Amino acid sequence: MGTSRNVERRTILKAAGATAATLGLAATTGCGGDSGTSADGTVTIRYAWWGGEPRTIAIKKTIALFEKKYPKIKIKPEFTDYEAFWEKFQTQASGGNPPDVFQNAVGFLRKYDKRGVLMDLKAQADAGNLNLKSFRNGVLANGQVDGKQIGIPVGANTMALVIDQKAFKKAGVEAKFGWTWNEYFAALQTIQDKSKIAGDTGYFAIMYLYDLYLRQNGKAFFTDSALGFTEADLTQWWEDGYKRVKSGLVADPKKIEQAKPKSGLSAGLAASEFTWDNFSIRYQGEGDSDYGLAPIPTTDGKNTGQYLGSLMLSAFSGTKHPKEAAQFIDFMVHDPEVGKIMGYDRGILATTEQYDAFKPTDPNNKGVAAYEDEVAKAGVLGKITPHPSGADVIEAAFLRIGGEVAQGKTKPADAAKALFSEAKAAFAG
Amino acid sequence: MTLVKEAPVRPAKKRSAAPAAGRRGRRRENLAGYLFMSPWIAGFLLLTAGPMIASLYYAFTSYNLFTPPKWVGLDNFTTMFQDPRWQKSVEVTLKYVVVATPLKLLLALGVALLLAQKRRGQALYRAAFYMPSLIGASVSVGFVWRALFSDDAVVDRTQKIFGVDVGGWIGNPDYVLYSLVALSIWQFGAPMVIFLAGLKQVPQELYEAAEMDGAGPLRRFWNITLPMISPVLFFNVLLESIHAFQVFGSAYVVSDTRCGPADATLVYTCYLYQKGFKEAQMGFASAMAWTLVVAVALVTAVLFWSQKKWVHYEEAAK
Repeated sequence: MGTSRNVERRTILKAAGATAATLGLAATTGCGGDSGTSADGTVTIRYAWWGGEPRTIAIKKTIALFEKKYPKIKIKPEFTDYEAFWEKFQTQASGGNPPDVFQNAVGFLRKYDKRGVLMDLKAQADAGNLNLKSFRNGVLANGQVDGKQIGIPVGANTMALVIDQKAFKKAGVEAKFGWTWNEYFAALQTIQDKSKIAGDTGYFAIMYLYDLYLRQNGKAFFTDSALGFTEADLTQWWEDGYKRVKSGLVADPKKIEQAKPKSGLSAGLAASEFTWDNFSIRYQGEGDSDYGLAPIPTTDGKNTGQYLGSLMLSAFSGTKHPKEAAQFIDFMVHDPEVGKIMGYDRGILATTEQYDAFKPTDPNNKGVAAYEDEVAKAGVLGKITPHPSGADVIEAAFLRIGGEVAQGKTKPADAAKALFSEAKAAFAG
Repeated sequence: MTLVKEAPVRPAKKRSAAPAAGRRGRRRENLAGYLFMSPWIAGFLLLTAGPMIASLYYAFTSYNLFTPPKWVGLDNFTTMFQDPRWQKSVEVTLKYVVVATPLKLLLALGVALLLAQKRRGQALYRAAFYMPSLIGASVSVGFVWRALFSDDAVVDRTQKIFGVDVGGWIGNPDYVLYSLVALSIWQFGAPMVIFLAGLKQVPQELYEAAEMDGAGPLRRFWNITLPMISPVLFFNVLLESIHAFQVFGSAYVVSDTRCGPADATLVYTCYLYQKGFKEAQMGFASAMAWTLVVAVALVTAVLFWSQKKWVHYEEAAK
């Protein structure tokens, strides 16, 4: 054969070069967006949200309704799941091209306010394009940061305990208002003894639940700019949690991981799970048992530490169509028809117009409404504070590190230390 | 450009045979060549070279995408080397490279040896074995893999038949990385095809001669096949190691975008992605990217250096 060493090498290099080129080209992606005014004066605005399929179907119906009422405004929808939404949003916003109107939550308000992405909607309210009245239970304050109105709540929700009613009944235990943590864990023990299933799916990795526990003890997860608890507090919380995993009171984290995207509760791995009350609607569809909402355990038999959180709509500060964006938000939070279509998918409807228009008929939505009524009546609701910039990163870290503790891969004390060090970096970012 | 410089050093004989007109023609030909290449060159400059240079700059800055990058010197690198999660990602990646690459190549070579023999339906076998490489990078396969290796799924049940009960690999931090290794091995098609091509190049006379000298199949493989295909083997080792260092998609999908549980599948690129796109620390992410480039370059250099010891190019050509 006439091939020389050099030729062989060159062939190899050529092949390598071609591979690199292909990879380079494959890595390119297109992105772009336009929000402009067309020749006939029709304005197009982009509207983005996260959520599952039922929410998307409902929101598309509300968009159709809006476009009928405002024929000069066209809405371009964009939607993904939660994780992908914020990754995409960050990139879009940094490029100066975020959607004109988008779903938002308390963990992101300060972050994107600090970066100048969110519009103060007060001016639009003053101009008469957006009505800031008739919000229930003072929930409008959830969208305020430093005197600015940068989010308009679409619904209100609160943390709850979702229980497998059959499992609770079989064990003969009852979840009652004002019960303590000790009573809660004792109930789980009874369930474990009688039904051979774990009690809880992994409470100690949920940042929002730890927040409630801290509030019960006169603290909170976040202050305006930092963490509101000590490393020792967290070490204790995770040590107790890990002990309960070891004893089988909390479900095996390996199995919980396998069950995803199904929740551990609907997969039958445990008898109860802490989550936001409006999320509870998913369980009936996923699992075979009957699920109900139960009160948050307390420290003193009274204070649950609960508050009303909410999903909101925000507008981009640099939108070319501030008026239309405000009109759209106004329609989405006040129009009774929209309330009827959305139901409690994003929490109990935030305005009286929508709340009065939607009368839940199915047991799930009824349950959520009854639960929040009960919580409101108990008078235990505290005030929510907009989380500091970086809260989203800390929430993810809390879940991840809590998972490592559960798996026995990190000692609680080291885990607490790691969280504090990651929090420091997140606040600085 | 280089082509202009090259012209005067051409041998005089040729120049006299094709004077000025020929040179112009050549130049025009070259120009046409560059013109045809221009989409690729533009793409390369805009989409590859440009971003790479920008990222090199960002590696020395603190950059959150929103506020202008702030020069911080080597800070990103010092924090990176001290970051326990970064160390973990290096550990996970090295483990993956060291386990997945040899296994994949072994299987590729084994199957290539089988397929090199003449038999009926050969083309069909080749296509079938190559198939996973075509679809392997897709997200859907990641989901399939998740389903296969979950608790009480196919793999788990099969293991239980043999009395091994680990309860599924996906949720288990001690096993989940091996499900990614399995996914990588399953896509052995590309190196297999290259091995096949290499095997076809081995002159049959050598085997005949060896057989006459009484060499058995193992001996023939060891003393003829392996040395003869060593350049191809070298190429495969090089390419597959580089690929393995860059593993991302499978880790991201199989572990439900979190590269876990307990960071068990936190491969290097996955951490890089989290830092850049979830935590918006683009400076740190760029520093990570360049560290990976340097590391892969080092590994490549070591491999090139080592080929003197085990890669045999044909002596005749020397």
